[in-house]
Amino acid sequence: MAPRFEYTQAEEIRDSFARNGVRHLFLGKSGAILLGFPDTTQDADVFVEKSESNGRSLVVALRELGFDLTDGQADEIGRGKDFIQLKNGPFDLDLIFAPDGIESFAEAWERHVDVEGFAVCHPDDIIRSKAATNRVKDRESLPRLKQFRDFWVGSRGGE
Amino acid sequence: MTHPVSHALPEIEIREPTPDERTQWFEEFQAAARRPLRTRFRYAFIKTYKPVLDDAEYRSFESTAEYRAWCEAQLPDWLGYGPAI
Repeated sequence: MAPRFEYTQAEEIRDSFARNGVRHLFLGKSGAILLGFPDTTQDADVFVEKSESNGRSLVVALRELGFDLTDGQADEIGRGKDFIQLKNGPFDLDLIFAPDGIESFAEAWERHVDVEGFAVCHPDDIIRSKAATNRVKDRESLPRLKQFRDFWVGSRGGE
Repeated sequence: MTHPVSHALPEIEIREPTPDERTQWFEEFQAAARRPLRTRFRYAFIKTYKPVLDDAEYRSFESTAEYRAWCEAQLPDWLGYGPAI
C-alpha cells in the first residue's frame, strides 16, 4: 500500500502530464479538495481524455512518475479501458476514461477550473459524477459537497 | 483560477442540510478558503488499509458499470462502495 498522497505528488502529476501533453482533469473528492472542499480522501482520481495519442502520452507520463507498468498494463491504459486502479507506483491513482454522469471529456474541459495550474472538473461535474455513481459513500457526501458548490460559486461572484 | 462556463447544477435529489449543518459547514468552508492549497492538501489526504481494494497492485475494467458491479460483489459493505438504496 502506497503512503498517503502528498501535495508534491499532485504537482508531479500536473507537471509530468503537462510535459507529456496528457489531457486530464482532477475529478472526485480529490478534485473537490483542490477547489477548496475541506474533507478527506484516500486516492487521487484523474479523468483522462480517451484517445490513442493521449493514451500513449499517459503511459509515458506514468512511467516517468514511477509507476511500474507491465507491457500488458501499458496497453490497457493506452487504449483507455474505462476504469483503471493503479497501486503499483509512488501513490495510488484511479484513471477514469468514462466517468458516470459526464457526457464527454470535451464538455468537462470546456467548464473546467484551473487551480494553481491543476486542471480540475467544475464542481457541478464532480457532483453530477458522484450522484450518477449512486454509491453509499458518495450519497453521504453529496449534501455537504452541494453546499460547498454554492459557497464556491458565491465566492466567485455567482458564476 | 480561470473562468469556467457558467451552467446550472443538474437536477439531482440531494438531502437538504439542517440549519446547524449549514452553519457549521459554512464556517468550515470559510476556514478552508483562508488556508493555502498545500496546507489543505496535508490534512485532506489520508491512508488507511481498505480490504480487498488494496490487495492488488493493478485492476482494470472495460466499463464503469463493470467496476461498480465488482465493487458490489467483492468489497465489504462497510466500505461504502456499494449502491445506495
